[in-house]
Amino acid sequence: MTTYPKIVALVIVLAVLSRACLLAQVKPRFEKPILLTSAGQSADVTIASTLLKKAQIESTVKSLAQPADLAGIRTLVIVAGYSSKGLGAAGISRDEEMARVKALLAAAAKAGVRVLTMHLGGAARRGNQSDDFNRVAAEAATYLLVVKGGNEDQFFGDIARSKKIPIDVVDKISSAVVPLQAVIP
Amino acid sequence: MQVAVGTRAAVATAHPLATEVALAMLAKGGNAVDAAVAAAFAIGVVEPDGSGLGGGGGMLVFQASTKTGVYINYYGRAGQRLEGFPYDADQDRQSAKAALVPGTVAGLLRALEDHGSLPLATLLEPAIRYAEEGFAIDATLAKIILDNFGLLERDSVTASVYLDEGFPRPEGDMLIQKDLASTLRAIAEQGRAGFYEGKVAESIVRDVNNHGGLFTLEDFRDYREIATKPVAGTYRGYDVLSAAIPQSGASIIEALNILENVPLADLGHPSKSVESLHLIAEALRRTYADRSAFVADPLFEDVPLKGLTSKAYALERFLDINMQRATPPKYRDTKAGDPSRYEKESDSRNAADQDVRDFALGEADRGGHTTHLVVVDTSGTMVSLTQTLGTFFGSGLTTAGVLMNNARSNFNRTTRVNSPKANKQPRSSIAPTILVKNGLPVLALGSPGSARIVSTIVQLITNIVDFGMDAAAANDAPRFFCQKFEDYLYIENRIGEDIRDGLRAKGHTLEVYGDYDLFFGGAQIILFDPSGRTYQASADPRRGGASGAY
Repeated sequence: MTTYPKIVALVIVLAVLSRACLLAQVKPRFEKPILLTSAGQSADVTIASTLLKKAQIESTVKSLAQPADLAGIRTLVIVAGYSSKGLGAAGISRDEEMARVKALLAAAAKAGVRVLTMHLGGAARRGNQSDDFNRVAAEAATYLLVVKGGNEDQFFGDIARSKKIPIDVVDKISSAVVPLQAVIP
Repeated sequence: MQVAVGTRAAVATAHPLATEVALAMLAKGGNAVDAAVAAAFAIGVVEPDGSGLGGGGGMLVFQASTKTGVYINYYGRAGQRLEGFPYDADQDRQSAKAALVPGTVAGLLRALEDHGSLPLATLLEPAIRYAEEGFAIDATLAKIILDNFGLLERDSVTASVYLDEGFPRPEGDMLIQKDLASTLRAIAEQGRAGFYEGKVAESIVRDVNNHGGLFTLEDFRDYREIATKPVAGTYRGYDVLSAAIPQSGASIIEALNILENVPLADLGHPSKSVESLHLIAEALRRTYADRSAFVADPLFEDVPLKGLTSKAYALERFLDINMQRATPPKYRDTKAGDPSRYEKESDSRNAADQDVRDFALGEADRGGHTTHLVVVDTSGTMVSLTQTLGTFFGSGLTTAGVLMNNARSNFNRTTRVNSPKANKQPRSSIAPTILVKNGLPVLALGSPGSARIVSTIVQLITNIVDFGMDAAAANDAPRFFCQKFEDYLYIENRIGEDIRDGLRAKGHTLEVYGDYDLFFGGAQIILFDPSGRTYQASADPRRGGASGAY
C-alpha cells in the first residue's frame, strides 16, 4: 500500500471515531472519598468491593450505610440487588431496607454527593423483589454500570434513556473494572 | 420438566441432569436404589452447592416386595479429636474447622450393596462424565454462587472452580471439576477404600488440618453409616416413615400427630384460612421446641422417642395451643414439653434400633441447604433421599476435588443433648419421608432448607392428605415457617393481606419473603394416584429441579 491510501484510511478512521465520541454519552467523573453500600442487601456489595480493589479504588464499605455516613463523602456507590438471606443476616425487613435506601439517596442528593449505581448480579438480581431496589437505585444514579444479564429486557437501558443517565453495560462482572477506572480516575 | 406423570416409574431431583441420570439407570434395568444412588452421585456434581462427596445425608427405602422400610443414616460424624478442639461457633462456622467426617460415599455404597443391582462403575459413570466434561451452570446455581461469593473466594482451589477471573461464574458458563472426576474414578475402581483410605483420604485429612481442622486417617477408615429402622407413626390412615434420630423424622411425626386432633380440611387451606395457618404454625412451634430439647444422637443421649411420637403426648401439646393468640409473644418463650411421661405409650411403634452391622462412631452434617430426590421403580419400591454439605458450599474448602461440609455447625452449645462430642452426630433437619397406605408406598417426599425442612414437609403432607392436592399443587402452594427460636412467622408473598391481617391480630409478627422463595426449601415429591394408577412426580418450582416418569 502506498502512503496516500494509508493517509486516507487513517482520516476515515479518525472521522468515524470522532463521530462516535460525539454520539457517545458524556461520562461523569467521580471523586473520592467513596462510600460503598447495598440496595437490597445482596452479597453483590462484596463483589463490588472486590471490583473496586481490583481497580485500585479505595472505598469505605457499609452495607447498611445511613445518611450520617455521607459526611465528607464525595461519591456514593450503591449496589442494587435484593437478597432475603442478606436481609435476614442484617436483621432488617424489606420495608426497612427500602426506607434506608431512599433516605440515603435523598441525603446524597441534598449533599451533592454523586451516585454511581452498579447492578452486577445479572438475571439473579431481577424480578419483583429486586426490581423495586433496582429502580430506586438506578433512577437516582449519576452513572449506571450494569452486567448484561441483568439488562436483557432493557430495564436499566430504559431508565437510563428516560432519565438521561449515562450507562455502561458489560458482558461479565470482571469487565466492570475498566469502566470503573474510567469514571473514578 | 417440573411435573411428570407415568404409570410405571418416576423420578424427581433438584437438577434436570440428575433426573436424566436416574431415568437412564431405570432404563438399564436398575431399581429405585440404583437410580437414587446414581442420581445422588450426579447431583453432587451438577448441584455442588447442595451436596456431594464431602457431605452426608440419609436415604429411606421402602421395598414394595417386603413391605418394609429401612433408613440409611450417612450423616457426618465428629472425629475422635473433636473434644477440646477450639471452635468458635460464629467465626468458624464456614471453615475447615466445621468439617465433620463425610458419610455420603459410605451411605450410597451401603445402599447399593444392600439393595442395588447395577455395578458401581455404571452408577458413577454419569457423575464422572459431568465432572470431567463439565455442564452449563443453571440459573439456580448461578444465583447461589453469586450469593456465596465471599465464601467461594476464600480458598484458592474452590475459587478456581466457581469463579472466573476472581468473580462469580454466570449462568451458562461451563463448570468443570476434573479433580472431582478423579476422586469419583477412585471410588468407581476401589469402592469405599477409594475415598476413606489411600490418597483421597490422605489429601482430605492433610488439607483440612492445614486449614485448622483436626481429622485423623482413622476417622476416615472407621466411618460407618447406620442402617436402621425408620421412625414411624400414622397420620389419618397413612403410615408415616421418616428419618431416624438424630435426623428429624420424629419431628415430622410429632407435628402431624398434633394436627391430627383437628379436621384441618374443615378449617381450609392455610393460604386461605387464618385459623388453619395459625394452628399449623403453633403446632410447629411446639414441635421445634421439643426437637431442640430432645432430639440428639441416640448413641450418646437418652432420647424420649416413644413419647415424642406418641398420640397422647401430641394431644397434650395440641391442648397447649391457644387458637386466639400466638405464642410466644417474646423471644424463645415456647416451652418444650415432657414427652418422657409417654415413653411407655403402646401406640408408639418406634425403637431406637441401631445398626445390624458393626460400626464405629464417626461424623455429622448440617441440615442447611441441602438437596432432595425421590424415585419409584416398576416394582413400586420408593426411595426418598436427602443429602447435604451443611450450608451452601459447606466449609468452602475443596480438597481432592471434594468440597468439604461444615456440619459441625449443627451441634450447639445451648442444649446439652446436642453438644459436640467425639464420634457423635449432630442433630440435623433432614427428613426424607415416605407415606404408606395398606402396605403400599404412595408418597415419597422431602426437602432441603435447613430448619424449614420439617415445616415444609409437614405442609406438603397436609396439602396432599388433608386438602386433596396433587403433587404439583402441593409443591406450588404458598409456604410459611416458624420455630421456637424466632419471633417471626415467615410467609411467602402469595399469602394474601387478609390472612396477614388475621395473623397479626392473633399476635404473629410476620416476615414476608418472595412469591416462590428458596428459603422455604426445594421439595421433590412422588405421589401415587390410585384413581388413574399413575405416579405424579413434582420438582419444586422454587428450585431448578426436574421430574421424569414413564
